[in-house]
Amino acid sequence: MANYDLTPRIAPNLDRHLVFPLLEFLQERQLYPDQDILRAKLELLNQTNMVDYAMDIHRAFYHTEDVPQDMVDRRAEVVARLKALEEGASPLVSFLQNENAYQELRAEKQYNLQMLNERYQIGPEQIEALYQYAKFQFECGNYSGAADYLYLYRTLCTNSERSLSALWGKLAAEILMQNWDIALEELNRVKEIIDSKSFSSPLNQVQNRIWLMHWSLFIFFNHDNGRTQIIDLFNQDKYLNAIQTSAPHLLRYLATAFVVNKRRRPQFKDFIKVIQQEQYSYEDPITEFLACVYVKYDFDAAQQKMRECEEVILNDPFLGKRAEEGNFASVPLRDEFLENARLFIFETYCRIHQRIDMGVLAEKLNLNYEEAERWIVNLIRTSKLDAKIDSKTGTVLMEPNQPNVYEQLIDHTKALSGRTSKLVSQLLEHAQTQQAAR
Amino acid sequence: MASRFWTQGGDSETEEEESDYEQEDNEVPVEDINKAAKSKYLQGSDTESDDEDGQKRVVKSVKDKRFEEMTATIDQMKNAMKINDWVSLQESFDKINKQLEKVMRVNESDRVPNVYIKALVMLEDFLNQALANKEAKKKMSSSNAKALNSMKQKLKKNNKQYEEMINKYRENPEVEEEEDGDDDDEDGEEEDSEFEEDPSKLGMESDAEEDEDKEAGEDDANETGPGWEKMMSKKDKLMDKQFKDPSQITWDTVNKKFKEIVAARGRKGTGRIELVEQLTFLTRVAKTPAQKLEILFSVVSAQFDVNPSLNTHMPINVWKKCVQNLLTILDILTQYANIVVDDMVEPDENETQKGTDYNGAIRIWGNLVAFLERIDVEFFKSLQVIDPHTREYIERLRDEPTLAVLSQNVQEYLERAGDNKGAAKVALKRVELIYYKPQEVYDAMRKLAEQNEGGEGETDGEPKAVEESRAPPSFVATPEIVPRKPTFPESSRTLMDILVSLIYRSGDERTKARAMLCDIYHHALLDEFSTSRDLLLMSHLQDSIQHMDISTQILFNRAMAQLGLSAVRVGLIAEGHSCLCELYSAGRVKELLAQGVSQSRFHEKTPEQERMERRRQMPYHMHINLELLEAVHLICAMLLEVPNMAANSHDAKRKVISKTFRRLLEVSERQTFTGPPENVRDHVMAATRALRQGDYQKAFDVINSLDIWRLLRNKDSVLEMLRAKIKEEALRTYLFTYSSSYDSLSLDQLAKMFDLSDKQTHSIVSKMMITEELHASWDQPTRCMVFHDVEHTRLQALAFHLTEKLTVLAESNERAQESRIGGGGLENLPLRRRDGHDYAAAAAASGGTARWQDLSFSQGRHGTGGGRTGYNAGGRTYSGQAGGFSRDRTGQSRGVGRTYQTGSAARASQMDGSTRMVSLNRGAYA
Repeated sequence: MANYDLTPRIAPNLDRHLVFPLLEFLQERQLYPDQDILRAKLELLNQTNMVDYAMDIHRAFYHTEDVPQDMVDRRAEVVARLKALEEGASPLVSFLQNENAYQELRAEKQYNLQMLNERYQIGPEQIEALYQYAKFQFECGNYSGAADYLYLYRTLCTNSERSLSALWGKLAAEILMQNWDIALEELNRVKEIIDSKSFSSPLNQVQNRIWLMHWSLFIFFNHDNGRTQIIDLFNQDKYLNAIQTSAPHLLRYLATAFVVNKRRRPQFKDFIKVIQQEQYSYEDPITEFLACVYVKYDFDAAQQKMRECEEVILNDPFLGKRAEEGNFASVPLRDEFLENARLFIFETYCRIHQRIDMGVLAEKLNLNYEEAERWIVNLIRTSKLDAKIDSKTGTVLMEPNQPNVYEQLIDHTKALSGRTSKLVSQLLEHAQTQQAAR
Repeated sequence: MASRFWTQGGDSETEEEESDYEQEDNEVPVEDINKAAKSKYLQGSDTESDDEDGQKRVVKSVKDKRFEEMTATIDQMKNAMKINDWVSLQESFDKINKQLEKVMRVNESDRVPNVYIKALVMLEDFLNQALANKEAKKKMSSSNAKALNSMKQKLKKNNKQYEEMINKYRENPEVEEEEDGDDDDEDGEEEDSEFEEDPSKLGMESDAEEDEDKEAGEDDANETGPGWEKMMSKKDKLMDKQFKDPSQITWDTVNKKFKEIVAARGRKGTGRIELVEQLTFLTRVAKTPAQKLEILFSVVSAQFDVNPSLNTHMPINVWKKCVQNLLTILDILTQYANIVVDDMVEPDENETQKGTDYNGAIRIWGNLVAFLERIDVEFFKSLQVIDPHTREYIERLRDEPTLAVLSQNVQEYLERAGDNKGAAKVALKRVELIYYKPQEVYDAMRKLAEQNEGGEGETDGEPKAVEESRAPPSFVATPEIVPRKPTFPESSRTLMDILVSLIYRSGDERTKARAMLCDIYHHALLDEFSTSRDLLLMSHLQDSIQHMDISTQILFNRAMAQLGLSAVRVGLIAEGHSCLCELYSAGRVKELLAQGVSQSRFHEKTPEQERMERRRQMPYHMHINLELLEAVHLICAMLLEVPNMAANSHDAKRKVISKTFRRLLEVSERQTFTGPPENVRDHVMAATRALRQGDYQKAFDVINSLDIWRLLRNKDSVLEMLRAKIKEEALRTYLFTYSSSYDSLSLDQLAKMFDLSDKQTHSIVSKMMITEELHASWDQPTRCMVFHDVEHTRLQALAFHLTEKLTVLAESNERAQESRIGGGGLENLPLRRRDGHDYAAAAAASGGTARWQDLSFSQGRHGTGGGRTGYNAGGRTYSGQAGGFSRDRTGQSRGVGRTYQTGSAARASQMDGSTRMVSLNRGAYA
């Protein structure tokens, strides 16, 4: 199943620290040999300042108690640097921690800076030091500290580029602390900045969008409301274009979100077209499943894909999140996905059939006969399905669903009068303003 | 190379000849240098053989031709004299007078050629002789005598004009010429230009004179030969007086001479070839590398001037020399890194005096990029002019690697010099050399380049060495530093990627656009349809193409054609059709692709237009096969249109996918008898007839019998794909046509009828059900499809039409209002659009590797309906966008298309207009 693993494609778009959760997950699923994962972790850590953690992993990896000298040296160096940075930032930190002093800050940045400069002798160097300190904290794994400092830094920062990287840092920290609500807010803030026109180069902008989407996966698949929001974000033209341009693997998540979402969305049809278009650049069971149901109308293959989808979901770090209830672990997303996928197949299947054998249907839905019957009865009861069961022959009979010609005509023309009157009112308004102008 | 055969023999011949003359001459030492100079000029490359060859080739300068005519007439006169035929003599005399005018005009001189004077003298002598011989005169026929008399008068009158010269000639035929040569430098050159433009002509002339030997006085001919030689030496003597002793040559003398020669350039009476030769000589005596470089630059531009006309190409041997010169320039530039070439600054007068030991930058005027582009243009032109079915054409094509190596070197130099913009331009030239080559052709070129180098080295090595030893060493030796052999990577794609990404980084707008188009073309050629489509869409070239120059538009058309072909090769019929239909909508494919001129009945082209068009033609080897293109287009149209017509049988004019196809079908249906298919069109029409009856086998057989398929690399798989498509469309057509006659149909039977698998049939029919093209549903237990009768009545159908039109009306109202008062509804549009451009730039900047297809996607989004129709809408992106372009150019023929629609169709065409508006508007959205 490792061939559907997206970690290698996702990881380059994430922060180093954000890759850890993915590796943890992989280790748990045991898709790869333990040794490989440990080595990957070690490599990751070499670039960060989380030396203690690195030492632990080193021990596990080589099964020794010894730690190489350079790690020890590095630890000392890190600690020393931390101290130095702390000192540099201390005046500002102490100022900010002082409740009363903090109250003096106002909404106006310029004023604040001036005030700080005059009264506390805190100049740009100290503010810069705060940033460095926060960054260092983050690299050491002290995410909450980093988040706090970065927040404070942003209130004082004037450099927009720095401000953006501070925002990214804050987002990463919040994600790592699993504060999904705050992370979502930060996410929207970053998005606003990216979408603003002042962004440097278009290429850069696309790259930033792609990062944002990757990072957002953490939030969307953990936040309660995430599944609708992921569609809102990813399905925007700009973001969808970015996906198609350089990160087609993200289609998997968008596809899943579409399937899992209860409410059928108008964009769904277009999304199918995108999947069709991107077939040459990206395919995985989830997108293939949709293609089978909505493009090829090949229900046997769809069913086959559905089984593969299950595997994929279980092995995906974002989709396969476990919910523990007592000692009973389940993957809620998988169940939902399967349920909805079944519905998808069934819905399409019914649309083109007049009479269906229950046995075949049960097979198509991956259910046994009784379950299938119960399922269908449920659908009929909740009036999702306009059908009857002929239990003697064991078939489902669809009610013919031909729209009335008159209804259709009315539908077509209904909007027209509204549009026209709006047009007229606009025209009148315009004429009036023109007259007034004269 | 055929010329190689001549190298040895021809070479020794000339040398012998020369040495003969040498002995006759007294001025041996001068002669030596002169000859050395001359041979150096010839030896520049392997070109001496070419010179010898000149005679064999058809290419002759106008001057040569005129001269030849003149000598031929003189021959005729001699013959006439022999038989005492005064009538024909008189005719010839008139003729030669006319030719004289031409010769003078061509030579741009006011001096009468000696050949003519000689003829006059001869004629006079003969006339006197004839008049003296009374007896013979009496014997003449009356007409002959009459002619003799009139001739007498004419000659008398005519000779008066040239009296002086004739007398001079009579006095001393040899001296006369020498004197002329001595007149002054200017004059001497001019004299030479008449006589010595081409060794081949020299040969020819002496040939003619040899004839004379037999007939008339032998002395004459003998004297002319050496006379010519002497004159040559005279001229060079002048030149060499200054340069005789190497030790005396200073920078100043060279510079002075150089200035003098350059000043003469372009002046009336300056022989172009002569100029080149003199300059070439100067390069040998140049004192500093910088000076040599400066002179070389002038040589190259003088060489460009050899061919003054825009419509004809530069003589091929000159072209080759020119390439060699440029390579030498590059050698110098590489050797002396402190020399900077620039065409912006006015160089210091004595800039070139700085020697090799000078450390600072030396600025020389010149523009390598422009030179290279000119070389490329000349190459292109020569290919346009040469008949593609001759050997000559192939020979010419073999020069391609030479051009490739030159541009490669120039590009490398420019990159080193940090001129990225120039490098991008040169890279574009390289791209344009390879973009149309499929891998096979590319491999062949690579092989040729490798072979060529090996072969040439061997044969050339020896004569070169010989000449080298005889020629005095030039003052500034330039070792061959830059490689003379092009290096091609294994696959053409790699090379394209390298070049194209360089261009995207630093080219200007036009260069980038052209490179992008070449890239698209090349991807399409390699069957990478999706990549090239993405490139096309993200570059937004369809929007901007109509603002570009015509040659880029042609390139765009070519790319579209290739894109269409590749789409069909990978089995995307609808996409292929939308790429190609624009090209065919006006029936001027040839013109749009610049592969020939099509006559239009409706408006005559002015000669100017025609000439322009001729200049834009693609050389034969770059052509896209038109038959294949037409076949692919029509087959696509057939596959889309036949089921479409079946689906809308009650209202045929409503949804037309391909107007061209419909028109052809109409024409073919009007025929009383249909014979067996002959051309591509007939074949497709025959297939259409079969397909409409659901006879997929016959349809396929007819298509299969086209012999253009052998042009495809993966012929079998394409045909297999077509077969599958034909079956599918046959099934759909069948269902559309006959569904009303059935209450139910079993899947098995359908599958058997169309030789499809159950699964395929099921999938196709299901698709039709979902998109509501077919009002039916499956009865699963019995594996049957049951048809529902939901045919609208006539009244209902009309009511639907009415509502549709109302919607259109409302929409256009809204749009009109918006454009008038700028309503709020469109406010977000410009923003979105700008964003799109951003992406395009981004994608382009990332080296074209990134994929993005905002266009087709959002287009699809605006398209109505799901499934099939939506699919079409997505595909229509191309036409919607590209439409503007060719529509602009083909406006009038669209009118022609309209005339086919009669009476009742007026409504339909109006409809059509409105939908076009809509679709254009969609284009604006995207």
